[in-house]
Amino acid sequence: MGRLLPHFFTAIKNNAIGLLVFFVIWLLVALFFPPYILPSPVTVFQDVLSYLNQDIGHHLAVTLFRVLAGFGLALSLGTVLGILAFVTNLTAWVNSFMVSLQVIPGMILGIILLLAMGIGDGVPIALVAILTLPTIAINTANALAKKKVALEQYLISAGGGKKHLVRYLYLPALVPTYQSNLSIGLGLSVKVVLLGEFIGSQDGIGYLLNVARIYFNMKEVIFYLAIVLLFTALFEATQSLLFAVCLERYFFPE
Amino acid sequence: MIMSDDFLTVRKLTKRFAVQTVIEDLSFSIPKGSRVTIFAPSGSGKTTLINILSRLDYNFEGTFSLAAENPATIFQQPRLFPYMTVEENIFLPIRIRETQITRDLLDKFERWLEVCDLSTNLHCYPYQLSGGMKQKVALIRGFLTEPDFVMMDEPFNSIDFRSKRAIINHILNAYPKITVLFVTHTLDEIPLLTQSVLLFKANQLAEFSTLDASHLNLNFMEAIYG
Repeated sequence: MGRLLPHFFTAIKNNAIGLLVFFVIWLLVALFFPPYILPSPVTVFQDVLSYLNQDIGHHLAVTLFRVLAGFGLALSLGTVLGILAFVTNLTAWVNSFMVSLQVIPGMILGIILLLAMGIGDGVPIALVAILTLPTIAINTANALAKKKVALEQYLISAGGGKKHLVRYLYLPALVPTYQSNLSIGLGLSVKVVLLGEFIGSQDGIGYLLNVARIYFNMKEVIFYLAIVLLFTALFEATQSLLFAVCLERYFFPE
Repeated sequence: MIMSDDFLTVRKLTKRFAVQTVIEDLSFSIPKGSRVTIFAPSGSGKTTLINILSRLDYNFEGTFSLAAENPATIFQQPRLFPYMTVEENIFLPIRIRETQITRDLLDKFERWLEVCDLSTNLHCYPYQLSGGMKQKVALIRGFLTEPDFVMMDEPFNSIDFRSKRAIINHILNAYPKITVLFVTHTLDEIPLLTQSVLLFKANQLAEFSTLDASHLNLNFMEAIYG
């Protein structure tokens, strides 16, 4: 635990500095635009209470649920698909397929899903699952393809079977990939859920963003974006802490 | 020299990598309870032979039979799992075979730690160990499963002579009946551990002869390998 915890605190510090820099840039850039285009953070925070009154807790919870459900689905399916691709020696084929899936525009897919599923939770969740899954599957298959042959040989020579290879070699090889999947995948998921709510939902932060931008209420738009930013930073810190405390051993120096 | 009590019998073994023949028409046998060295220059196919006998490579011609019930291989590279501690690495084969950890086994484990001077490193990870310490861990891991046959591929490369002698003495005392196939290209290790030597000429494990390990000397080796 001692080796990665300093890295965790450094990451928290860097995140905080990043957020601070973001707000400073925002403050400076806002000086050059009128408030109806880019309001300054000060004016946004002055109106925070009025935004909080409009059942923001419910919308935030709905968005969180969709992000976690869609991302959880993509993480599970993507991992299984990546493992299957590796086990069946179809990594190259699955990679090509996933890359082709990755280039489908989210907006088009969102409209297709909206027509197929109607307004509700389904569209943002399915959108996240479909658009995040390729990244996770490709990362998983590639991480397994880089397995250590010498360790595999040792396990076989020691009488290990497939379950031992999975337990002692393949799953540990996936831990660092899982962390990058969580970081990259969650950022992507948040964006996609907002897009899904934008297109086909009547609640969630994406929906609120859509309503606010229809009325050109840029203070409210920026407020919701700041909430999303804070949520993402909080998640990043939580997963860093989890990996630093529980899974440190899998991040070994070569 | 194929005898009824042969533990390992290799017959007409040939191994090719593309156009290169690494082992050609190799035949030899090792009686039960004997400790035999394969002495050959680097690049002559010793590790390839160990891989074949460890059933890691099935792409060869010829046959071999191994009567061991519980063989162990100690590879040239320690092959420790980087995310396991020293203790976890050592007990890995025990966990794989679901062998019960008895008081006797723990006593043997502690004795090995004393011999290898690793008692204070049990909770270290491999990246925190020196090359010699890693090799010692690999040796303990191989022997703690109480094998009846051990194949060792240059396991003392990074270990100093004093430690090497202590480890070999411990092997000879604690495992007097074990059958050993020891691969090395370091002359001083041979008489310490083994009773006889298989000599392979040129760059192929093709021809061999046996001799008493105590008769080895540098001049003899130079006469063979130049």
